[in-house]
Amino acid sequence: MIKTPCSNHWDIFCTVVDNYGDIGVTWRLAKQLAHEYQIPVNLWVDDLNSFSHILPSLDPLLASQSFNGVNILHWRTPLVIEFVAGEVLIEAFACELPATVKNQLLHLQQLDPKLVPIWLNLEYLSAEDWVEGCHGLPSLQADRLKKFFYFPGFTAKTGGLICEQNLFTERDAWQADPSNKLQLFNTLGLTGIESQDTVVSIFSYETEALSALCELWQQSEQKIHALIPKGRSLNSLIHLLPCDIDNLVAGQQINHGNLTLHILPMTDQQGFDRLLWSCDVNIVRGEDSFLRAQWAAKPFIWHIYPQEDDYHLVKLEAFIQLYCDNLPPEIAQTWTKLNLAFNQGLQSAVKTHWQNLNPVDLPLLQHAKQWPIDAINAADLATRLVQFVKKS
Amino acid sequence: MKTAHEIRPGNVIMLDGSPWVVQKTETTRSGRNAAIVKLKLKNLLLNSGTETTFKGEDKLEDIVLDRLDCTYSYFADPMFVFMDAEYNQYDVEAENLGDAAAYIVDGMEETCQVTFYDGKAISVEMPTTIVREVIYTEPSARGDTSGKVMKPATITGGGTVSVADFVKVGDKIEIDTRTGEFKKRV
Repeated sequence: MIKTPCSNHWDIFCTVVDNYGDIGVTWRLAKQLAHEYQIPVNLWVDDLNSFSHILPSLDPLLASQSFNGVNILHWRTPLVIEFVAGEVLIEAFACELPATVKNQLLHLQQLDPKLVPIWLNLEYLSAEDWVEGCHGLPSLQADRLKKFFYFPGFTAKTGGLICEQNLFTERDAWQADPSNKLQLFNTLGLTGIESQDTVVSIFSYETEALSALCELWQQSEQKIHALIPKGRSLNSLIHLLPCDIDNLVAGQQINHGNLTLHILPMTDQQGFDRLLWSCDVNIVRGEDSFLRAQWAAKPFIWHIYPQEDDYHLVKLEAFIQLYCDNLPPEIAQTWTKLNLAFNQGLQSAVKTHWQNLNPVDLPLLQHAKQWPIDAINAADLATRLVQFVKKS
Repeated sequence: MKTAHEIRPGNVIMLDGSPWVVQKTETTRSGRNAAIVKLKLKNLLLNSGTETTFKGEDKLEDIVLDRLDCTYSYFADPMFVFMDAEYNQYDVEAENLGDAAAYIVDGMEETCQVTFYDGKAISVEMPTTIVREVIYTEPSARGDTSGKVMKPATITGGGTVSVADFVKVGDKIEIDTRTGEFKKRV
């Protein structure tokens, strides 16, 4: 049995549900807490194989290893590493804590309630109004334990958004030198991209809308490069591929008219950020890439995680309302329609709205640059989280 | 035990070693279809209130208390007065009714359940569905008949319900009192 190192540490528990989303968010948060606040963090993850795709130096066979000041622990049942409670315990995205962990909390509660770590449920990001009313509320448990619901969000009354302190400075420096993007594309094995070409990154779920956009781009007057990793987006483009998805290799190019599809290699999170900074438009999904696309200060389409009864459209519209607040009305209307059409898989509409919008036009680009400053709303999530813990 | 999702205004639950009456419930959806339930509670021992949040599937210990079928009699601010079949009257604080207060109207015939704790009437549970008349709503904006487009409507008693676009003033509608949702036009 290996013991966790100290008692003032924070524990974050994460179950991998959708490959890179949940782990993407928790890994960024853990790194930021360790780097910017010098907090020792244990990140417990149930699927190290998926994790290793965004942290290539991670060894999925090791039960404990350390990167970027974060202690990464393999969460298995029963735990192979003894859990020792620290200062804060975070269950990410309402994952169910192991019974041994809950039992230890109960034991500490009986010994002395002051020994019980501050227990938080880190929830999903939403722009809906109700988030303000639920953020930070306690969840009283029958066993007298108490946990808090922590909701990320876009307003001052929510838990904020994950954003590293130096991110915008690094991004601006990167984008100020056009040679950076071409160098990045070369490093990723993406050849044939000229500085005047339009480059679109695609990290979506399956949708007919993507197929329609590719059809449109084939007939575009200028060259369009679509950068796509192996994964769910390609399921919608099978008719454009020369072979099975499994047989595609990173760096492979597939030409159709003026459209070139490039198969992207997997990158770590810093590499993914730089990719988003380097593209003209980003099509992203879920939560982590959705937020990073906003920080990229480039136009984007958000493919939101589909929910029962089309409830995801309510969440999408809540975000659209915030994002479009300072956009010129005509552009706001078209950008809204483009996002709705993409999420509803409306092939004809998505083509029309893409053409009407011209996502690389200046007003949308200017808005994309201002939005991150407005959205961060004085303090990022890690800063607000640390303050919340101090007050609790 | 009930899940947080099943808890309704008027229920009494045991938390933190104390009995709490549920005054209001609000269910929302987080990511990946998970339900979040926000409860407004009143501590029956301390008479203090709080708000708390649960995952929809969290298990809560609901206390089985004495209940009586009653009908609404009259309002004597700040108490709603209910009467049982033997004409005994019970006063319930208006704030303990939570959202249910919006459905209480003079002359209503539905049978409610009054809950007692330590001999005192502490809450009222409405029938699962009730029928109320729409006294104000805007005319249909888009002529939608699908029932998917919604608009606000004021019902008898002054409460507001989100109704299908085709609903008109004077229509009688069925409402689910657990969620406050419009079910159908009757």
